Amino acid sequence: MATPVSVLRLPKGPDPNSRGFDPKSARFIALCRTSIATSASSETNAEQLPREQHARSVLRETFLRCLLSMTNKKVHFLMHERVKVEATFGASDIDVLNFQVSDLHTPIGVQKEALIRCQDVISFTFDS
Amino acid sequence: MAMRQTPLTCSGHTRPVVDLAFSGITPYGYFLISACKDGKPMLRQGDTGDWIGTFLGHKGAVWGATLNTDATKAATAAADFTAKVWDAVSGDEVLTLAHKHIVKTVNFTQDSTCLLTGGNDKLLRLYDLINPEAAPQEIAGHTSAIKKALWCNNDKQILSAADDKTIRLWDRSSMEEVKQLKFDTSVSSMEYLADGEILVITYGKTIGFYNALSLDLIKTVDAPAPINSASLHPDKDFFVAGGEDFKLYKFDYGTKEELESYKGHFGPVHCVRFSPDGELYASGSEDGTLRLWQTAVGKTYGLWKCVLPEDLGVENSEQLYTSPPEIKA
Repeated sequence: MATPVSVLRLPKGPDPNSRGFDPKSARFIALCRTSIATSASSETNAEQLPREQHARSVLRETFLRCLLSMTNKKVHFLMHERVKVEATFGASDIDVLNFQVSDLHTPIGVQKEALIRCQDVISFTFDS
Repeated sequence: MAMRQTPLTCSGHTRPVVDLAFSGITPYGYFLISACKDGKPMLRQGDTGDWIGTFLGHKGAVWGATLNTDATKAATAAADFTAKVWDAVSGDEVLTLAHKHIVKTVNFTQDSTCLLTGGNDKLLRLYDLINPEAAPQEIAGHTSAIKKALWCNNDKQILSAADDKTIRLWDRSSMEEVKQLKFDTSVSSMEYLADGEILVITYGKTIGFYNALSLDLIKTVDAPAPINSASLHPDKDFFVAGGEDFKLYKFDYGTKEELESYKGHFGPVHCVRFSPDGELYASGSEDGTLRLWQTAVGKTYGLWKCVLPEDLGVENSEQLYTSPPEIKA
């Protein structure tokens, strides 16, 4: 009777909460360019780099605080194809792919709960 | 001591897996991409099957998927009439290429500067990835939907297989048809090995091997059941095939002898490919899973561990599984 080959573990399956591509993996750190290229890639200017990095952190923090302060407020979204809708903002997912909203006012009615795809959004405004 | 093959099941897809492709060998190992009717192609580590990420964006079944040699880019072909190019490190969508019908196949040139697409509109398209806004070059000729299109002969030529039961060889610079192979029945799959210029074609129960430059027949081998896909080992000593009877077959390429057959999938096998180092092969099935199979059964590689007779039955902190439970998608 042949013995089945032993296996250390099973292959890891998908994470239900994220689309993956772990930014902490060695490959990501080595190969991933940030979405907006730093000026360091074109000319080396040692003093400019910390200032640019500081500016990036400020912008990121502002964006995250903006998402926090938007919670449960009425937000107006300007989207592609001349779509303008208003909804009560709930939350964003970790990769900022979808916004969870309630009472989405659309030309064809009010959607009680909805997900707005972030890549379709051009801008959004709200009163803080 | 005889060892029995333990396939590794990669779950996660919720619909049939219709295509899969390996990257080349990179400093971070090699990678595997799977195309699925659930519209969510996945990237996995090639030697373990571990999920790395899912490419989100397609709005229909994904019929074809490919990686470039260094696995930095991925391309997918879908029923939503688009082909998409992705950053395979971050998972971000880089380009959406609109087509006039379902796109079935995508293939990068070796330098990743040009993407070949083909689908139900019967046209082959060549997209310049350095100037993606430019209109693609189009090659017409096939009289039915294109199933598979590949670069060959150092990206100087193109091979395409269509539902019109022909395989055609085209010249990239002249955009003209150079040669044609006619079959009595639809070709189910096509694989190209640059090293040795071999074309592996499956149709009915037959696996055919052709010279990719001349399209001369090298040999044919018949399997016990209709075959959907086959792959030749990089060393050209074995080939594997899978199809409608759910089994994976392993044949000796030289003698054409059937060496082994493996049960495991719960549905027809749609695609099978050897890894770039030849140590394993992956199969995708109607049952929604991918399975990894060892070429040399019992060898320590990836997640498989060679256990010597004296180790069996001894308490091991390493948690060795002898028969992994089947996980249904």
